Amino acid sequence: MTGRNKYFHFLIFALLVVAVVISGCGSRPDARKEGKRVLVLGFDGMDPKLLARFNEQESFPNIEKLLRVNEVRTLRTSMPPQSPVAWSNFITGMNPGGHSIYDFIVRDPSGYSLSLSTSRSIPAEKKINIAEWSIPVSKSRFELLRKGRAFWEILEENDVPATIFRIPSNFPPVQSGRSISGMGTPDLLGGYGSFTYCTDTPPENMDEITGGDIPIVSATDGHFVCKVEGPPNTFVKGVPDTSATIDVWVDSENHSAKIRVSDKTFLLNEGEWSPWVRLDFPFIGRLAKASGIVLLYLKEVHPGFKLYISPVNIDPENPAMPISYPADYSKELYEKVGYYYTQGMPEDTKALDHGLLSDSEFMIQAHEMDRKVEDIFDYELERFTNGFMFYYFSDTDLRTHMFWSALDPSHPEYGKRSEVARKVVLDTYRNMDRILGKAMEALKEGDTLIVVSDHGFASFARSFHLNSWLKDNGYITLLDDFNQGQYEFFENVDWTRTMAYAVGFNGLYINEAGREGNGIVAPGPEKRKLMEELRAKLTAVVDPETGQKVVSNLYFADEIYDGNYIGSASDMIVGYNNGYRASWESALGKMPRKWFDYNTQKWSGDHCVDYIHVPGIILSNRKIAIENPALTDMAPTILNEFGIEKGDGMIGRKIFTE
Amino acid sequence: MFGKKLKIENELLERAEKASKAAGYSSVDEFVTHIIEKELAKIEDASTEEEMKNKLQGLGYIS
Repeated sequence: MTGRNKYFHFLIFALLVVAVVISGCGSRPDARKEGKRVLVLGFDGMDPKLLARFNEQESFPNIEKLLRVNEVRTLRTSMPPQSPVAWSNFITGMNPGGHSIYDFIVRDPSGYSLSLSTSRSIPAEKKINIAEWSIPVSKSRFELLRKGRAFWEILEENDVPATIFRIPSNFPPVQSGRSISGMGTPDLLGGYGSFTYCTDTPPENMDEITGGDIPIVSATDGHFVCKVEGPPNTFVKGVPDTSATIDVWVDSENHSAKIRVSDKTFLLNEGEWSPWVRLDFPFIGRLAKASGIVLLYLKEVHPGFKLYISPVNIDPENPAMPISYPADYSKELYEKVGYYYTQGMPEDTKALDHGLLSDSEFMIQAHEMDRKVEDIFDYELERFTNGFMFYYFSDTDLRTHMFWSALDPSHPEYGKRSEVARKVVLDTYRNMDRILGKAMEALKEGDTLIVVSDHGFASFARSFHLNSWLKDNGYITLLDDFNQGQYEFFENVDWTRTMAYAVGFNGLYINEAGREGNGIVAPGPEKRKLMEELRAKLTAVVDPETGQKVVSNLYFADEIYDGNYIGSASDMIVGYNNGYRASWESALGKMPRKWFDYNTQKWSGDHCVDYIHVPGIILSNRKIAIENPALTDMAPTILNEFGIEKGDGMIGRKIFTE
Repeated sequence: MFGKKLKIENELLERAEKASKAAGYSSVDEFVTHIIEKELAKIEDASTEEEMKNKLQGLGYIS
């Protein structure tokens, strides 16, 4: 080799070394570590007190393995500790001041109207009208109202693949990674789950039943025709409702029925659930239709006819709304596991609450959901070779809501619960431990595993009519006292003589001049003085039935929130004491002539209380290094696991040592 | 821009004309349009609120 060639080869070698060093010193070397995996399991509402209690009764081997790495760790939840708020803290690494989700319900200050906080639908703007048709030429769409970036958007930007399964507060799903939306995803009718109960025997409590439709039908030669309400037909002027028909021929002697749905016919025995079946709702003949899927339960054939039909879930094979990203991800899962629940909160709590489904019947439906969730988990776990995965389980939340009173002897409804009910929550925790075991088995050394619950649980034995209390204490004035308690949505309120009002489950607003449509309290010292007065009075309210305080803390938004959206917050956030919650009525601006009620519903556990009473849980295979970890710490921690700096506006900390 | 004509009883029209002048509207048309818009807004808000209530019932948080 000549000297010149030697020099040339040295130069090439040097350039290669420089190139390798430069690529190694890039801004995200760790982010692309081949094979690095971080798995987060979200057990919504898993409660540290219940876990400790159950763990005294029996062993949870997989949870115990993680408890040997970190002793029981509670995770500071959001204030208020409502799931959309809590998971938004998790997703953005910010508190509500940064992501703008403060409560399930928000108010428009100009007209005091109420709406849901997490998403809204925007109808098609342009339509062509021909005869009776009104054909949209632009698409209607949904808008996610959460602000701030989801941490997996940052992961993806740094070439870390992310899979996000059913995380709440993500409908429609952000356009990044691979995700399917969770809580907040509507059924095909646009609601959050409306069942149909087709019967020839009206239930005794028919007038009190909410959350579904109860068509009363009669048979012709044993043939019942049940109509299931569908989405409104936006292709026709006047937007009429659509419906689909289910034909049922009963065989009273054999306690069974032949059922025809669309083009499928099958047999069901009394007490049997059907597999998923598809329902089509035609818009323009065969040219345009919406497809949904339902489960049927033949509760009784004789002497009464009772057919329960689940809410119409969006068909994952051909979704009418954006439930996944990429759009075909929901279909990919359908092809792997068949139909599955797509509705945000699948368990039919209303049908259970009103006695249309028994505890056992409800749990059969719940287990169908569990089975599919686990099938998809197995599928995703098997192909999880690198990057990030979040997998959500709603079981621990919904079942604790519905079966709390079966566990808590101090709850007034404890004695009325069934033996089936008493086992449900323990069984659910046992199942979560088994799922955790699967995850642990699939991971290898160097992978990070985190188990998170967004909040714990408290008893919901008494409901407090906060707006009635405000009225009786002179903060709300009615237009017509005689009709107090008749109207919802503040319809009877004289806003020109009202100083404060409560909205949603924890929000308390001042009727501020210049901000509210008919505000009367001047911002500044006058408003602050009123807030201090309310804090002193509300934290002193005692329930005469129990002798307990109702409110443990009243927080001011500017004391607990940071971020660009504090202006949208309620001025005060009510931290209810254990055992208390805002009444259903008060949340929607209705004022009965009393302050308290016993909660006699099966929905008997809740978490819309002071956050100090309901921390969540964090478990991990890595040592947690900081004190008092919080939900807002999770996004920065996950990013840091891939060597990525936390995003703008994130207030959380990394929880692990380097 | 003119839309469809609406029928209204003479007596009601006279009262509307008087009221529109007293309230400072430039014409009875403007007054009637304003009243209809206001009522429509109430109804449309109410249907949105009912929808919200139904959704919360579906979630289980509202009885």
